[in-house]
Amino acid sequence: MRLAAAELVDSREILPDQWLQSYYAPSLVAGARAGQFVHVRTGDYSGLVLRRPFSFNTVDSATGVFTIHFRTIGRGTEWLKRVRQGEPVDMLGPLGRPFEVDSRSRHLLLVAGGLGMAGVRMLADEAIRAGRQVVLLFGAATAGEVYPSFLLPDEVEYVVATDDGSLGHHGYVTDLAPQYEAWADQAFACGPSPMLRALAGLAAGRGQRLGVAKLGRKRGAGRSAPLGSPEARRKAFLQVSMEQNMGCAVGACLGCVVMSVAGTPQRVCREGPVFAAEEIAWESGW
Amino acid sequence: MRPRKRVVTSPAGGTILPARKRKPGRPRSRRPSRLPPLPQGRSLVLEGSGATSPRRAEPSATELAAVDLSVDLAPGRGGFRLANPILVASGTFGYGVEYGEVVDVQRLGAVCCKGTTLKPRVGNVTPRVTETPAGMLNSIGLQNPGVDAVVERYAPTWTAWQTSVIVNVAGESIADYVEVCRRLDGVPGVAAIELNISCPNVGKGGLQFAIDAEAAGAVTAAVRRTTDLPLLVKLSPNVADVRPIARAIAAAGADALTAVNTLSGIAVASDRRRPLLGNVFGGLSGPAIKPVALRVVYEVAQVVDIPVVAIGGVTELADVLDFLAVGAVAVQVGTAIFADPTLPVRLIDELAGECLARGLSSYQPLVGTALPPRPDAPSAKGVEYRP
Ligand SMILES: Cc1cc2nc3c(=O)[nH]c(=O)nc-3n(C[C@H](O)[C@H](O)[C@H](O)COP(=O)(O)O)c2cc1C
Ligand code: FES
Repeated sequence: MRLAAAELVDSREILPDQWLQSYYAPSLVAGARAGQFVHVRTGDYSGLVLRRPFSFNTVDSATGVFTIHFRTIGRGTEWLKRVRQGEPVDMLGPLGRPFEVDSRSRHLLLVAGGLGMAGVRMLADEAIRAGRQVVLLFGAATAGEVYPSFLLPDEVEYVVATDDGSLGHHGYVTDLAPQYEAWADQAFACGPSPMLRALAGLAAGRGQRLGVAKLGRKRGAGRSAPLGSPEARRKAFLQVSMEQNMGCAVGACLGCVVMSVAGTPQRVCREGPVFAAEEIAWESGW
Repeated sequence: MRPRKRVVTSPAGGTILPARKRKPGRPRSRRPSRLPPLPQGRSLVLEGSGATSPRRAEPSATELAAVDLSVDLAPGRGGFRLANPILVASGTFGYGVEYGEVVDVQRLGAVCCKGTTLKPRVGNVTPRVTETPAGMLNSIGLQNPGVDAVVERYAPTWTAWQTSVIVNVAGESIADYVEVCRRLDGVPGVAAIELNISCPNVGKGGLQFAIDAEAAGAVTAAVRRTTDLPLLVKLSPNVADVRPIARAIAAAGADALTAVNTLSGIAVASDRRRPLLGNVFGGLSGPAIKPVALRVVYEVAQVVDIPVVAIGGVTELADVLDFLAVGAVAVQVGTAIFADPTLPVRLIDELAGECLARGLSSYQPLVGTALPPRPDAPSAKGVEYRP
């Protein structure tokens, strides 16, 4: 965790009201992994008292440049989109815990809903660099909000669903997931919570349907990894990147929790944002 | 006041803080001072030190360190001396360890840890925080692992610190408060107790201790009998008249008062179908509450003889100076840490720099300057208490 003045390199509106910005900040990029995030401070004169969290969308450790992807939904993001090239932005990161890919996983299924793309986008790069195969399922309301394929690595198989059927599958992205459950060794998702809940439901029944046991069966069979631990995520078929309103983003304020199956609230900013789907108490109403 | 560059010293921990060099946005504005103009010539501190004029843009770390920022928060009994009057507020700085890598905790006046209860608490349903104009609402619901776990997990770390840790204590009955404080008494690493009395009192049908002078006095007295640890009691602003409550707490043996806790408020969800926070009600904090906190400190400082620590919307040196002027001897920084974790440490240097610039060897003369003169006051400026 470091504080840095990240310098805006490039800012583009890639979709209506959706921005892709590149920042130069070698100290934030160093050691950053897919699933982690930065906590961004708006200008002193913005009148805003909280930072805004953004996932690392892509990271280029060679150049020290990373990107964030956001929709303008309020005064913070309106401020951010107006940052000019060369201007420094105060950021805290890398924060949170990353996705954990089991070393034996060859086939990764990534599922993103809308802006959830920003949560899994970097994992596609990491996986391809490691020689893994990636299918990325993406859901949006309509064709006009579909993440442009040219911004994805060529190696990714990109499958789209739209609510109105204007592009790809007519329906939810979760409708597409079952076709890949046998192919995938592990799945990683980020998006609206009904989407994550539906995927968690699918993942829970997968072992039975396919007659396969959980990953990591050999290592420490029967012993479940501690809640929130990297092993718990690595062993899980489905890992989800959760969202919650944040204050500090370092684990100090307890503003950002989600309820775990053990009945103990977990901090999205510290134990998360990535959790094994089976760690989350989906029906708790939290 | 003339413009002055921001004072920067390198933290002892050697943390790299490149953000300090170039911060986005305009430089912070300083409001014109209400204090007497700068004395001409050399300041008290610099006398004979061979240093250059006090108008120097950036005092050295040695010069800053020469200013006496220490403060005693329990002058009535034994003393509870802090190296400086900049504390971090309960609930905004965890147990002091979370920001470790970016904040030099050792420099802080003290750390007030998250509210601690007898039994573990899971807290309120989410959402728990939301931003509001110049502030935020929170309804954490006192999530904490319980006093025994807090002692076990964190006290060993605190013992090694030079910074004092003040454990913020919450409860639902006087017996709860007493038992938590009994378990904290004598624990190495626990320097003091801050009673969070903005909690429903089960014994009185859920009426908050903080809005009931009798209950506030009773819980303070009960805890006072339990422990010799320095005892701070935190006032709620959600009352019609805070003065009788402050008096009752002081009379019951508190060493200091801290003011204020959050203001009760709500926000509405964007679909306008329900309140936004899972718990409906939340506590408002941040710059939005500063005028209220100033008013409470102003009122309280005039009716009690024990030190008052101000809390509420501190985001820059001007806020610290304002709170000192209305009678606070120290301040706690809360919500502002979320945006600017290095603020509290910077404020320490800025306060020292302010004293140097005014030719003061300590910040004591800045305390109480805006209070009305009192006929029975021991000093010409009407400062009842001197740190
Ligand atoms: C997220 C959050 C959690 C808090 N938790 C506590 C707590 O546990 N006990 C307490 O006495 N005050 C708590 N407070 C209140 C603060 O300590 C402080 O009194 C208040 O935020 C006003 O100061 P500020 O405007 O600088 O934030 C909390 C405040 C916030 C924002
Ligand atoms: S945002 Fe403060 S604990 Fe997660």
